[in-house]
Amino acid sequence: MKKTASVLGRVLLGFIVFLTLIPFFLLLSNSFKWSEEIVKYPFALPAEWHFTNYAKAAVQVIRPMCNTFIVTFFVILIVLVVSTLAAYAFVRFQFWGSTFLYLAIMALLMIPGFVLLIPQFIQITNLHMYNTYLGLILPPAAASSATATFLLKTSMEGLSKSLFEAADMEGAGELQILAKIVVPLSKPTLSTVIIMTGLAAWNNYLWPLVSTTGEGTQQIAVALTKLVRSMVEGNGVMFAGYVTASLPLIILFCCASKSFVAGLTQGAVKG
Amino acid sequence: MKKKLTFRTFKPYLFLVPIFVLLIVFKYVPFGMAIVKSFFNWNGANLNEFIGLDNFIEAFQDEMFLESIVRAFIVMVVQVLIVISIPLITAELLYAVRSKRMQYITRTAITFTMVVPTVVVILLWQWLLNGDTGVINNFLNSVGLSSLASPWLGSAKTALGSVLAVGFPWLGMVSLGGMPFLLYFGALQSIPGDLFEAADLDGVTLFQRIRMIDLPMIASQIKLMVTLAIINSLQIFDAVYILTKGGPGTSTMVPAVYMYEQGFSYRRMGYCSALGTILFLLIMLLTIFNNKFLKNTETMD
Repeated sequence: MKKTASVLGRVLLGFIVFLTLIPFFLLLSNSFKWSEEIVKYPFALPAEWHFTNYAKAAVQVIRPMCNTFIVTFFVILIVLVVSTLAAYAFVRFQFWGSTFLYLAIMALLMIPGFVLLIPQFIQITNLHMYNTYLGLILPPAAASSATATFLLKTSMEGLSKSLFEAADMEGAGELQILAKIVVPLSKPTLSTVIIMTGLAAWNNYLWPLVSTTGEGTQQIAVALTKLVRSMVEGNGVMFAGYVTASLPLIILFCCASKSFVAGLTQGAVKG
Repeated sequence: MKKKLTFRTFKPYLFLVPIFVLLIVFKYVPFGMAIVKSFFNWNGANLNEFIGLDNFIEAFQDEMFLESIVRAFIVMVVQVLIVISIPLITAELLYAVRSKRMQYITRTAITFTMVVPTVVVILLWQWLLNGDTGVINNFLNSVGLSSLASPWLGSAKTALGSVLAVGFPWLGMVSLGGMPFLLYFGALQSIPGDLFEAADLDGVTLFQRIRMIDLPMIASQIKLMVTLAIINSLQIFDAVYILTKGGPGTSTMVPAVYMYEQGFSYRRMGYCSALGTILFLLIMLLTIFNNKFLKNTETMD
């Protein structure tokens, strides 16, 4: 009885995993086919591997991918700097208004992003940041910095007070303590923040849709929805573009899968 | 000496300057603007006149908006059901596989699909669901179930269901099934082994064990995921906008897409702000209600 249950369980689990993976397998295999084959035999492996699909897709996605790299990099950098400084202040010092200021940051987690869509759009227009990298970077950085501050503050609170006392005795300055003691000890949380923020920036669709136009600063999520199919290859080129756009994160994932799991789950507090 | 003292007093605030500059310019000021502009007839440029509560009165008589909220509640029910079913079942099934290696491989395979950009998943499903050349209809035809084939996204009857089906079984979607799966599975793994040994000695059956040990141990994760599903479902935008833009007709019009249209297609930015304010209050209410309700069940246990 127990044996059959366990076998049934494994079969069901296998089926769920199969259903999860099959669309991605189809995407990959059809990205090497041409239009006719995709329509007629979507489930078969390519009869002939058309690598040219990737060359044609690259022309369309490389530029937006570079744009998104720039934006993602600076969003992460800004979030790391402002949130580490803020978290350090809340953990290290006791000062007038600290609880209020902390709550003022945390309250922002309650405001749904799209409520701010119009006023943020107006704000970047007024600041002449429409269609610029600054406009793409700063509002998402502000959005991610609240969660990051929360995570970093929580992890820094776990550091022993005697560490700070010892550093004070040595006469170390605050920035020295921060750089030499706190940051190295917060590495796991920092990598969680990097992955969480990076994924959000790479995936961002709505904000680039609103804050940019044309191809100059176009982001990958928007570019993917505007890929052009050609006559012979049909969807093949588009699929090749989708795969290409997924590669950077997949490569990163292969290098740091543990941090990814943490980054994906701890983002939950964002709500 | 005195100078040093004042510097000391100000020091903590210096660390907070960068984050608050960022938040004031891109969060607090826009939020204030969103509330204030709710009371204006405003197109973002030259037209800017105070009209009191007119926007709110219009919103409560706007059938399309009210319908979109009802639709958001349908989405909410579906998404709550999703986060408490398949991810939980999968986590339990995987936990029952005793081999650590198999657990690791399976979890990695599922996590792998979660790092694929959301837009790619949506566009991939656009192809799967396509009426003429889509894979799902192709499959149905080839197994002799042509009668079930349908223009999934193109028909008002099936469009909303199809949009919600994107990513099925949702373990690859970070916002939907993926995060709950990882959280549930992680929580199950952290249950101390001696609890199970004790249960085994007592001759507890599998379902008794799940009900009496597993579920209470991961209750807080389930609550968190339900709360998130509720908040997220009122904000669903990307999949709907990319796949149907709210159509056909208004069959998939959800609040965020409707707001986007009012704001950016019709330049009714004051009205759009009012809709945003209403939704913000609604989400606040749901969150408070949710916290109260879920806290109560906790004390009941």
